[in-house]
Amino acid sequence: MNKSNARLGWLFASPYLIYSAIFFLFPLIWATYLAFTNWNLIAPDYEFVGIQNFIEAFFSESVRAAFFVTYKFLFMFVPIVVIGSLFLAMIIHALPRFKGLYSVAFFLPYLASGVASAIVVNGILSYNSPFNIWLRGTFGLDINWLGSPILAPLIIALMMAWKFAGYYALLFVAGLESIPKDVYEAAAIDGAVGFKRFWSVTLPMLYPSFYTVTILAVGLMFGIFTEPYVLTGGGPEYATHTWQLEIYQQAFAKMNAGYGTSIAVINSVVTFASIFVFRKILEKWGARHGWE
Amino acid sequence: MVGSNTKLKITLLYILATTVLLIMVFPYLYMVLGSLAPWDQVDRKIIPTDLSLKSYEWLFSGGDGNLARPWLRAFFNSVFVTLASTILMLATAIMVGYALAKLKFRGRHVINNVILFQMFYPAIILLIPLFLIVKYLGMYDTYWAMILPKAVNLWAIFMYTNFFRSLPDEIIEAAKIDGASQLKIIWKVVLPMSKSVTTIIFLFLFMERWVELLWDMLVVNSEKMLTLNVLLAQMFGPYGGYPGPMYAASVLLTLPILILFIIFSKNFKDGMQFVLK
Repeated sequence: MNKSNARLGWLFASPYLIYSAIFFLFPLIWATYLAFTNWNLIAPDYEFVGIQNFIEAFFSESVRAAFFVTYKFLFMFVPIVVIGSLFLAMIIHALPRFKGLYSVAFFLPYLASGVASAIVVNGILSYNSPFNIWLRGTFGLDINWLGSPILAPLIIALMMAWKFAGYYALLFVAGLESIPKDVYEAAAIDGAVGFKRFWSVTLPMLYPSFYTVTILAVGLMFGIFTEPYVLTGGGPEYATHTWQLEIYQQAFAKMNAGYGTSIAVINSVVTFASIFVFRKILEKWGARHGWE
Repeated sequence: MVGSNTKLKITLLYILATTVLLIMVFPYLYMVLGSLAPWDQVDRKIIPTDLSLKSYEWLFSGGDGNLARPWLRAFFNSVFVTLASTILMLATAIMVGYALAKLKFRGRHVINNVILFQMFYPAIILLIPLFLIVKYLGMYDTYWAMILPKAVNLWAIFMYTNFFRSLPDEIIEAAKIDGASQLKIIWKVVLPMSKSVTTIIFLFLFMERWVELLWDMLVVNSEKMLTLNVLLAQMFGPYGGYPGPMYAASVLLTLPILILFIIFSKNFKDGMQFVLK
């Protein structure tokens, strides 16, 4: 009985094992090797070049751009999406009826394809769009939205926030629902109402959701591809040039497979390190305020 | 006095909620209206004064001249590739999850830990070698290239393992005493109990697979093989003068997910509660 169970267990797990051997373990070893070569994706000959790729990446303008663009996205996107999703969650939580309807409606943007939403955003911001005509007519403002190195990343950050706020809001709703009613009652006796109540009761109790949402949002910014690829192509002047765009362009457009892989390795290290640092900051900040 | 005060508050709350809702769905509305507007009104009027199906006709007839593209074929490709991948991902996740949660065999803890490690491993490192493997296996520019490397999903395995663990062992033991095989137990006993979780995992897998751009763009080359998402991304620039058809294609790209989501929205809450835990 036990022996057949074991055999069955391995049999059932075999799709995963075979898949991981072919599509995870083997490419992982290959990637580690490729990162130290100068292979150009086609030529049969290539050399082991040591850490030359990494040195080259360090001095490369486009890699540096990718590095800083991520943090630029991060500092625009994370506050917007955390505050936005908390706001949505508080609306959902406060509604006496139709909670489900509103939360589903807020969640809908999450289902949008990045390509489709880029097309819509491009249309809304095009030179002769009703929005821009109104801006020109009413305020005399003539703004080249996607051509501005400050506005283009902001627009992409807003697009991403639009997409993810409803999803993250559900995490906050779960957090809000887990706060017991008598905590509020006790707070009311102590005179905590309105904003004071929000600051000293709701927010500390929401800390776990807040932590999860923030870390998810931070992680997301290291892997953006679709939106900048379709909407700005990384421009203007590398203002929206993400890691994924850099890796894609190096490896497949410029066919530097070895170099591209080494940039992917750097990207992973930077992602890991950054998320680690953000976790530590959040944990310290939470501990200082006595939030757990 | 107090009553009318709360009533006013609730009314204001609903006004606020509905305003936010309209802002959230505005891009969708803009897309749909843009796809249905006469061509001289696309991106010129938010609410068109006339309705026209010209954009859809243009798209379905393949466009014109140098810009002719097989849009319907691309739509079919998307449906086929997404369904095939999603069904495989579900099937493998159910099998592996069941093995890890309910079949007590030596080594399952190791597998479980490796899966956790893999989940947090940045997939981008694998992109280039994965592309090369697909090429060397002769799958380049075939459906296989889009389906096989996306046939197993770690998150889905993780979700099912956790869910199956929460199911009581007694039910499975009882079915076993009745002489049911393990496959039959999964099919007849375990899966019916996992409906809401399966619904939500299916929706997430389908959605993520449906909007995949980078991978599908890399491994497929000929026009007839492109998914709708890739074709739309590639034609976005060249079709600059045809915003109407671009919106129509965007609607085509959005509709299947919305329809699935609406069909399954009944199971949404229970499933989400599990996924968000």
